[in-house]
Amino acid sequence: MRIRIDHIAKIEGHASFTADIVRGDVRGAKIKIEEGARLFEGILRGRRDEEMPEIVSRICGVCPVVHNLTAFKSLENAYALRLDESAILLRKLMMLGQIISSHSLHLFFFSLSDFFGFKTDLELINAYPEKTHDAVKIRDVGNKIVETIGGRAVHPLTPAIGGLRKIPDLDKLKQISEDCKNILPLAIKLGEFFIKLKYPDFPRKTAFVSLTNPNEYAIYEGEMKVDARTMQPRDFFFQIKEFQSFDKVAKRTLFEEKTYMVGALARLHNNSEKLNPEAKKLLEKSGLKFPLYNPFYNILAQAIELIHCLEESPGILTQIIDKFDANKKLSIEPINRSGEGIGAIEAPRGTLFYNVKIREGIIEDLNIITPTAQNIANLEADLEEFEHIEGFKNLKREERADKVKMLIRAYDPCVTCAVH
Amino acid sequence: MVQREKKPVIAILSLTCCEGCQVSIFDLGERFLEFLTKVNIGDFRLIEGLPDVKKYDIAIVEGTAITKEQKKRLKIMRKKSKILIAIGACACVGGPQEIKDYRGNKNKLIRQIYPNIRGIDNPKIKSVKEMVKVDLEIPGCPINKEEFFKLINELLETNKIPQIPQKPVCEECVRKNKNCLLLLGKPCLGAISLAGCGAPCPASNFPCDGCRGPRKGINLEAMKKSLMVKVRLSEKEINFILERFGQKNEIIRATKVQISTNLQK
Repeated sequence: MRIRIDHIAKIEGHASFTADIVRGDVRGAKIKIEEGARLFEGILRGRRDEEMPEIVSRICGVCPVVHNLTAFKSLENAYALRLDESAILLRKLMMLGQIISSHSLHLFFFSLSDFFGFKTDLELINAYPEKTHDAVKIRDVGNKIVETIGGRAVHPLTPAIGGLRKIPDLDKLKQISEDCKNILPLAIKLGEFFIKLKYPDFPRKTAFVSLTNPNEYAIYEGEMKVDARTMQPRDFFFQIKEFQSFDKVAKRTLFEEKTYMVGALARLHNNSEKLNPEAKKLLEKSGLKFPLYNPFYNILAQAIELIHCLEESPGILTQIIDKFDANKKLSIEPINRSGEGIGAIEAPRGTLFYNVKIREGIIEDLNIITPTAQNIANLEADLEEFEHIEGFKNLKREERADKVKMLIRAYDPCVTCAVH
Repeated sequence: MVQREKKPVIAILSLTCCEGCQVSIFDLGERFLEFLTKVNIGDFRLIEGLPDVKKYDIAIVEGTAITKEQKKRLKIMRKKSKILIAIGACACVGGPQEIKDYRGNKNKLIRQIYPNIRGIDNPKIKSVKEMVKVDLEIPGCPINKEEFFKLINELLETNKIPQIPQKPVCEECVRKNKNCLLLLGKPCLGAISLAGCGAPCPASNFPCDGCRGPRKGINLEAMKKSLMVKVRLSEKEINFILERFGQKNEIIRATKVQISTNLQK
């Protein structure tokens, strides 16, 4: 029996899936990417450093902030720049806004229908009108954070080499702090809704990879954590084995010859003790125990992170507001524009890496490894073992395809990122 | 045209791009939910997995068709739709992926990224209107969701294709008459670029780089001269900016229109 799913809906970008089931065993599970090659790493060679973050944010319209900021970080590391603390805090806040906006989109509009068997979101919206409005309101707050600091919700404008080119409006910052506090109860309600959902039982051991930071739930900065080990992002990055098969526009990655998982579940697995109180409370309420080797729980992990980010934002805003100086210059002009640098930030879907080489302000080489490029090999490995999902034997062909789609969506793949 | 009694059927087709324009439509939030009640959605893959219906009143297309499959889908979409709207820089002017066409050997470029290039499409990038007939272009990277919402409602209410006024970005710029970025020595293309975005870039100290493409009848030579004199850019650096969203070909075309009308005078 062959399972074939063309044009998987409700994911970012275009992909299909094929696999054969031979005597109840899934074989040759393949995600086929149907996105045109845009060659971002190629078109940037020979261009000026400051053009890079602007152009790469166009890799992804769902997570443009993290591409933009990771590109800046790689440049700043290459130039050995130390940023002003306010600039770092503003960027951290932008990242929280990015995750709030992306997670609320994925949780509610991409994933939730799968739990109820709705074929379209329109059915979902009709069945849960109040929840729909809650999800939209939460997402609006994430967008507002990005817009207030970045100048625009999609493709931010204010980040610059060494910091930010514009300081946001103080009154607006105070307003978003209030917005976060006001919206938090809705996010908790949504989280409680998500812990009650029935997640398919599908254990498969893998390695969880994310940033980790002794001071906070790591998103903007930290070391890499690979299960129990920690290492510098640079050391991890250079051990990633990237490979590309013919006719595949999305590369796959391995670490120590094995697939691994990045994203909300990996972060929660590695850093749950750093969660804020309400997020932690929900995690405890869910009864989940680590290690938790079931990729479907990536969805619940996002619901928990959504709460964490809304709790985290007002605290960061207080620090920004305390230090606020409307006349302070928040960017640094690099003296030496040659070097090599790595940038790593936790994107909504997992760790994003940029490695850039620059000579006198001109980009010589660039390598981007996106979360989905890392996850896709792990997802295919999961799908290869898919016969172990509970009740597989008794599922009809259609139902099996639905479960496959559900798992693919649980990873929240971003195909446009994977191809770039 | 769109009938008033019946809800119009709308489809959104996404080709190769970042999907930021679709996200911007989604960012309308509550207004988007309300919009959904006024129309029937024929195809919108980002929120649903319904099979295509036979006819659409309005098709909205973002991105550029790079793969053979995408080219096919675009042609089918055109055939099935009464009105086709191209949205965003990729669909209207080519998008950043067009940069590769300005860089000489695009096959050499693809080899640098993909060691195994067999089976990977790498055609010359074309905007949507170079492939099928387009009834309305709403440009920008990303689109201005407010402008989009205004235009789509205007279309639904009047049954007429709305027009975007041919004004420069400068007219919407908060820096108009004070702290003009170009006068401060920044490479701002506001003067030749089509307004309608609300000029968020210069408001964030970010020079306009013309993601919406040119307005009609521009004077490119005067723009280049300003960039050379005021910003001290070389011809090569100017070309880099004009290429950023694939708009260079459009800009040259918009300039030619002006030259030919001048000659007629």
